[in-house]
Amino acid sequence: MTSLWRALYFVRTAIDGLRSNPVTSAVAVGTIATTLVVMGVFGLALKQMSGIVDRVGQDLTVSAYLAHRLDDEAVRELATRVSTVEGVASVEVVTRDEALRRFEGAAGDRAGLLDGLVENPLPASLEIALASEERTEAGIARLVEAIEGLPGIDEIGHGQEWVDTYGRVLDGLRGVAAALGLVFALAALLIVSNTIRLAVYARRDEIEILALVGASRGFIGTPFLLEGVLQGTAGSLLALAVLWAGFELVTALLGATLAFLIGHGDPVFFDAPEIFAFVLAGAGLGCVGSLSAVGSAWRAA
Amino acid sequence: MSPQGETSRQALVRMYHVSKSYLPGAYALRDVNLSIGKGELIFLTGPSGAGKTTLLRLLFAAEKPSEGSIIIGGRNIARLSDSAVPTLRRRIGVVFQDFKLLQRRTVEENVGLALAVRGEPPRQVRSRAFRMLKQVGLQHRRHHAPVSLSGGEQQRVAIARALVGEPELLLADEPTGNLDPELTLEIMDLIAAAAARGTTVVVATHDHSLVERYARRVLHLQAGELAEAGP
Ligand SMILES: Nc1ncnc2c1ncn2[C@@H]1O[C@H](COP(=O)(O)OP(=O)(O)O)[C@@H](O)[C@H]1O
Ligand SMILES: [Mg+2]
Repeated sequence: MTSLWRALYFVRTAIDGLRSNPVTSAVAVGTIATTLVVMGVFGLALKQMSGIVDRVGQDLTVSAYLAHRLDDEAVRELATRVSTVEGVASVEVVTRDEALRRFEGAAGDRAGLLDGLVENPLPASLEIALASEERTEAGIARLVEAIEGLPGIDEIGHGQEWVDTYGRVLDGLRGVAAALGLVFALAALLIVSNTIRLAVYARRDEIEILALVGASRGFIGTPFLLEGVLQGTAGSLLALAVLWAGFELVTALLGATLAFLIGHGDPVFFDAPEIFAFVLAGAGLGCVGSLSAVGSAWRAA
Repeated sequence: MSPQGETSRQALVRMYHVSKSYLPGAYALRDVNLSIGKGELIFLTGPSGAGKTTLLRLLFAAEKPSEGSIIIGGRNIARLSDSAVPTLRRRIGVVFQDFKLLQRRTVEENVGLALAVRGEPPRQVRSRAFRMLKQVGLQHRRHHAPVSLSGGEQQRVAIARALVGEPELLLADEPTGNLDPELTLEIMDLIAAAAARGTTVVVATHDHSLVERYARRVLHLQAGELAEAGP
């Protein structure tokens, strides 16, 4: 019972505090919201781009071109062998006939090029798909190394270069977003902490009196922490509303352009766990900001 | 070098060679030795700046002494950790010249605060605050804001808050400094009544008529140094 009524006391005192300093509270909420909107815009942009890399990755295969001398039996054996290599998700056999059909299909009216040849010059190949976590430069290199020396494999080809470039760009953007996010988070922390410091200062008489009658630090400080958490939560909800409205507006206005830019599929907003993390980040920002303010108020007292 | 004013009663407070300087070289208190018996009512006198407030602040651990030890109830509080201060303060009631009431709370909430910070349930806090307010004759004002009360009434609320937790020690720093003479007596009678019920009481004042009227033990401070003046 004691802890329940104590919790109620803390909540009441925190809400009291917010109400008695509406302007500073609004500034803190606005700062947290602004920070989170900027971080959220980056997050949403990255989310769309990671979607492309994922989709491209699904189409990415490594082709192992096989020596002409292998018969069907040997090809199947090799395919089985390759499918046991670590990181390989699936292996598809492309026979020489199949290769020719594909070539003719792709070459269209220039298919006549091969007409003069008596024999099909195309080799059979294995199309090797990698498990999703292996679809990186390193993963491909590991695969190449593992199958390179196998008898019957003449040549290995893969089109992963642009995926790597894209991945690197994405990594770079993630780094920039993280750095910017950090800067904004620090700025927000500073402002939140100063806001709470003002609130602490405005209520120093109350703090002094509470301390005089034997209130513990926790008893005095918890309402301020709660204030910070409430401000942070309110700020993150506000930011989510702004982001969502912006997202709807942009997709309505630029839907087709966006769809083209990010490849197939519609632009996506944050999912439930991401929204939860977002609100948690806001609450955390408010909590840490007020912790530092209350801490420095204690040291000054 | 035994502390001054050793009484036959068991001591609640002892100070040994206590000095306090806020600024290097300037002493607010200098080599103070004293002993205060349980249930005693003591006046702490001296001109403005003599160190009365400093001595009281040392006793409720609002300041730490620069030198010496302060024993309250067998425990040296000279080097008390910050986290142990609240526990000490729950055994000590403090009354100030400017009342120090929370204007945004009712009279009853102000009194109850001393119990609420200990985690007493609200129902118990309210009933004990009510009984305490009755003792100081203000139960009919319990739902009012402190500002709507006269100075004398506000000080009665402050005394109720200081006493509601049944402290062993009551410290009053110029408790009647803001009050008319007849209110002064009313307030002093409340404080003396607490001493009569067994609470140890230290009243800092420069009002000599009080000292004469109550004829108790007097500790006289002069430029930070203590001299016993007797009743
Ligand atoms: N916080 C402080 N910082 C510096 N000097 C102080 C402080 N508090 C009190 N003093 C000095 O200590 C001396 C004693 O002050 P005080 O204890 O308030 O005396 P009294 O209560 O008897 O008037 C005075 O010289 C005063 O200026
Ligand atoms: Mg004083």
